[in-house]
Amino acid sequence: MSRFWKSGDPFIWLTAGGLAFSLLMVAGLILLILANGLGFFWPKDVVLLVMDDKTAVMGQVMDREEIPQPGAPPETPKKYRIQVKQGNRDIYGQDFTWVDESRIARRERPDDAIVIERREWGNFVGTLREVREDGRPVAGGGDDGWNALEARLPQAARLLAEIRRIEKTEIGAVNHAQEKIRLNLKKLSAQGRGEGPEAARLKAELGALQTGYAEMETALGAAKKKDTTSVVAAAVGGQEKELPLTQVVRAYRPNAMGSGAKAAFYAAKVWEFVADAPRESNTEGGVFPAIFGTVMMVMIMSLVATPLGVLAAFYLREYAQQGPFVSAVRIAVNNLAGVPSIVFGVFGVGFFVYFVGGSLDRLFYPESLPTPTFGTGGILWASLTLALLTLPVVIVATEEGLAAIPGGLREASLALGATKFETTWRIVLPAVMPSILTGLILAMARAAGEVAPLMITGVVKLAPALPLDSFWPFLHMDRKFMHLGFHIYDVGFQSPNVDAARPMVFTTTLLLLGIVLVLNLAAIVLRNRLRKKYALGTL
Amino acid sequence: MDPVLEQQVEVPPRGPQKAARGAVSSRSSVKRRILVDRIARRLVTLGGVVIIASILAILIVIGIEVYPLAGQPAVTSGATSTAAGGGTPLAIGVDEYVETAFIADGGGITLISFKSGSVLPSPSLAGLGSARIVSASPAGRGVFALGLSDGRAIPVEVRFNVSYIESGRKVEPEVVAAAPLAVDPSKRPIERLAHIVGPDGAVTAAQLGAREIILLSVKETKALVGEAKREESRKTLSLPSQGEITALAIDARGDNLFAGTSMGEIVSLGLREETEPEVTRLGREQDETAPSITALGFLNGDRTLVVGDAAGGVTSWQVLQDAGGDRRLTRIYKFVSHEGPVIAFAPSRRDKGFLTADGSGAIKLHYATTGKTLLDVPAGGAEDSAAASLAALSFAPKADGFVTADAAGRLSHFRLDNPHPEVTWQSLFGKIWYEGYEKPEQVWQSTGGTDDFEAKLSLTPLIYGTLKGTFYALLFAVPLALLGALYTSQFMHPAIKGTVKPVVEIMAALPSVVLGFIAGLWLAPMMEKVVPGLFLIPVVVPVLVLLSLALWRLLPTPARTWVRPGYEVVLLVPVVTLGIWISLGLGGLLEAALLSGDYRGWLLRALGLTYDQRNSLVVGFAMGFAVIPIIFTIAEDSLSNVPQHLVAGSLALGATRWQTAVRIVLPTASPGIFSAVMIGFGRAVGETMIVLMATGNTPIMDWSIFNGFRALSANIAVELPEAPEGGTLFRVLFLAALLLFMMTFVVNTVAELVRLKLRKKYRYL
Repeated sequence: MSRFWKSGDPFIWLTAGGLAFSLLMVAGLILLILANGLGFFWPKDVVLLVMDDKTAVMGQVMDREEIPQPGAPPETPKKYRIQVKQGNRDIYGQDFTWVDESRIARRERPDDAIVIERREWGNFVGTLREVREDGRPVAGGGDDGWNALEARLPQAARLLAEIRRIEKTEIGAVNHAQEKIRLNLKKLSAQGRGEGPEAARLKAELGALQTGYAEMETALGAAKKKDTTSVVAAAVGGQEKELPLTQVVRAYRPNAMGSGAKAAFYAAKVWEFVADAPRESNTEGGVFPAIFGTVMMVMIMSLVATPLGVLAAFYLREYAQQGPFVSAVRIAVNNLAGVPSIVFGVFGVGFFVYFVGGSLDRLFYPESLPTPTFGTGGILWASLTLALLTLPVVIVATEEGLAAIPGGLREASLALGATKFETTWRIVLPAVMPSILTGLILAMARAAGEVAPLMITGVVKLAPALPLDSFWPFLHMDRKFMHLGFHIYDVGFQSPNVDAARPMVFTTTLLLLGIVLVLNLAAIVLRNRLRKKYALGTL
Repeated sequence: MDPVLEQQVEVPPRGPQKAARGAVSSRSSVKRRILVDRIARRLVTLGGVVIIASILAILIVIGIEVYPLAGQPAVTSGATSTAAGGGTPLAIGVDEYVETAFIADGGGITLISFKSGSVLPSPSLAGLGSARIVSASPAGRGVFALGLSDGRAIPVEVRFNVSYIESGRKVEPEVVAAAPLAVDPSKRPIERLAHIVGPDGAVTAAQLGAREIILLSVKETKALVGEAKREESRKTLSLPSQGEITALAIDARGDNLFAGTSMGEIVSLGLREETEPEVTRLGREQDETAPSITALGFLNGDRTLVVGDAAGGVTSWQVLQDAGGDRRLTRIYKFVSHEGPVIAFAPSRRDKGFLTADGSGAIKLHYATTGKTLLDVPAGGAEDSAAASLAALSFAPKADGFVTADAAGRLSHFRLDNPHPEVTWQSLFGKIWYEGYEKPEQVWQSTGGTDDFEAKLSLTPLIYGTLKGTFYALLFAVPLALLGALYTSQFMHPAIKGTVKPVVEIMAALPSVVLGFIAGLWLAPMMEKVVPGLFLIPVVVPVLVLLSLALWRLLPTPARTWVRPGYEVVLLVPVVTLGIWISLGLGGLLEAALLSGDYRGWLLRALGLTYDQRNSLVVGFAMGFAVIPIIFTIAEDSLSNVPQHLVAGSLALGATRWQTAVRIVLPTASPGIFSAVMIGFGRAVGETMIVLMATGNTPIMDWSIFNGFRALSANIAVELPEAPEGGTLFRVLFLAALLLFMMTFVVNTVAELVRLKLRKKYRYL
């Protein structure tokens, strides 16, 4: 026994156990997110549960758990309950219900069960009764109705797109122009020229826009009149609902779908998730604005952080004379890396938003005050805040790269008569480029995952417009934006309907994690290659 | 280089033109190159400066926002008006913008403009008749009442209607007087008056004679059809006191009437139900002669009663439950005393501040939440001696100034700069006796439902929360990270190091919002079910690891060779998984056997602890994901960098690998490990999203691992978007950020210095 302890092996195994635990934690977390995030879009079968009191529940089974029986003797048989997504929030009041398994008399999988994804009120689960046009039935229930419905859905989608186009693009443009004229008028009257010819011209333009607006209203009304097709479906209790087809996102009969159809459905849902705007207070639809906002913010951040970080790294490695100042810079870099991200956010609020933004507003946008333009959170301020936050990442990676470049290269260049700058620009910079890239990728990964500072510098749960659009100056740095990480926080914790939101959050988490991990792995691979390259001295 | 160039230039061109031009162009090109080089050098140096500048900027920007909190209030005297000339003012008031004021005196209400300093045409009070006004209730908020010499009272409201016209703002005063109330049927003059419009209608308390109070309540019920019903009830009260009544106050809810007496007693009378009047003496001792009460009034919110006495004392009181469950008037704070009797009191309508004045005209500004006297305006602050005969006092509605009236009816305006009265060192970090609390406490509650909410801005519970979260995170992360680092650096086979280190880097890269989400929505409900099992893991897993080693050693040697030393970790992954599984199962069994199947009930019974679903256990575990990789990486780095000859020497002398690791490597690298833990600490202190999502965010002070907390960082993230810029909450949140910055700055700087020293040490070893 004493030899067992004296060999030291038990301790070594214990340390190995500690490491194994940490590794398991990472693996477990990633597996958990994969398992929960990937399955969400796969169409689940609709089951009809007939209870022992003849009532029935129809829906998709989401979860099964043990019913706790505190105080019961250990030999009591375990009881389970299942969570059913029954949809029809407008009829039942809630999408989800728990069903006690012991009370289920019969389970069925009716082939004609239909799930209709609606633009409002969540899913409808039930059976098809009728398809109507102009209030007259054109097809009954069953396969007949289903075919009629499927045939009419694309047209309804086109109609909806037309209505949206008029509402958003055309009327949106008019609104934008009107707002601009209004601000110009305000500016003129502030300059005391509120009655001059210029103002008259603007007022005339405003009138013209008003006429254009009226025309569009008519067009919109006409388009809306075309919306006459509707579908009637019955929920399991017998209540019927008539839905205009423009309210239907998609309809499917999961029990009648083969694997191929399900796979196609899955792909369509994934595409919707990536490319569409959210619906139903972010619990349905896609996350495109959040992806867009994240990417855009990371790009603006990179534009600022990279040059600054590279300059600082070059200063530390190539230019500076060792001394107290360089030590101070190093301590500053380490502190920048260690300061909590929320403190950067607070700095962003105090400096960028209120000081810089407030000053910009007073100088350039006095006509729209007191409504702030730059003096409130926005994508520019959030990006700048994150640029500061990720600066150390770029510096450290670049420094590491600079340290690895053999000194002989620089000396050779200097010996040939090149200036310090020429050596740096033509010899050192190309050699260190991959390291800079590594740092940049790591910085992007860090920025993509960071949420706390954004919460106070310009992220919103639902942005009315993307920061990039077709109106001059196209890139709107003052706009608020959506972000994947904040989306997770908001939908997961602020949503009124947590059960409905949870799968969506898992999927968003998977997407964010995927982005961050891919970026990190890319950086790791790149760096390992670099190390090998320098180690072999092939440069 | 330069002298050489000069020489070249001075050499006269000997060759053909071309060469000369070449020399010239080469000269300019060299000059240009040098210029470019210099610019580049400046630019790069600027890059270094920017880094220091940004750290300093963070400190300075946050500091600038915090600094005004430390500011002292200041007062400057503003406009003075001509005398209204109606005798001694009984009540005064002023509009929001301090443009127009009114004085109620014997003859009626006089309107005065501060802009011109002159008396405006003022309407006469219709119901006044031949009577004189002899008393008035405080005119602080909305409706007040004027007591007449013939036993009637007139409820009056002076409205200031603000409209915006082309040339700017216009304030138009309007006097709205209701029908007079016949308070005293025997038509004695009303000595003193208190009037409120409460939820159940208007209540008027009038003092007639030295000890008699008539209470008149008017209830108006508006019927849907027909006329409004009006019910009047009159009650005569006499005080159980020897003293004369010297002050009256009713709270806005109409719960209690308080009367001050010349014997220094406060008599409290319940208005809702018939209760015995309760007498509270101002002096602490029963036989102590207390000074006469000269001023009595409620602060904004009507919970704190302020008492001024003839000796100049100013105290604040609240009705609180005592140990026996009785509701009693309790003294909260004693403020800085006046030199003479307190004759006027004016509460702020924005916060818990109030003004008191004595007969000499000296005015003091107090703040009831903190118990501090903020400002002292000595008598004669307004140049002439008229101020010495101060008669009435009123806070401006925006609390940005106050107005005084002298005996002749001359009004003076004082501007007050007092943006953050509720912040003191004590209110930020110490205990404060808040309204409705039974004792002084440290509370964070920045916003409430009503306008008269008393903000409670103690940072202590938040600092406590931050440290609590950090403590549990480090308790979990430090052992695991250090064990892992020791193994990876000393015992692990280099071949698998290449896989393990990227995995740890991935762990570091996990966005904290992802960790927080998983911890809050998945882990917290899961953990709740298996808490006893979780506490078995640190016992069961090591035992199982040792057991597997013992079994391993029993295996015949050939079987053992397929796992080379340094690969143990691969073997242990399934063992640890099994260990966790066993612990959770065993935990369920133990719970059923020892804790009667309900660990929460047991916790409450045996330890008096409650269990929150989102608690420090969950946070500690989730934060482990964020902290482990940081500690691991830095510790591993310093452990692997221990000079190899030390290790080789130790092994050559016959020490085992473990002995070498513990006695040689660990002590040498200990500063690096220290700095690793410090940096891990810094990360845990500042972590925001995990604590925001995985704790209940309740600002309680309690070390229990089964309760949540609220951390500084999460608090900033939640409250800063809602805090108005430049307000007290905004600045206090910046102060919270400054605290976080300081904590991490100190920790990171120390850690960096330690590491620099260690690097130097390795160089010489």
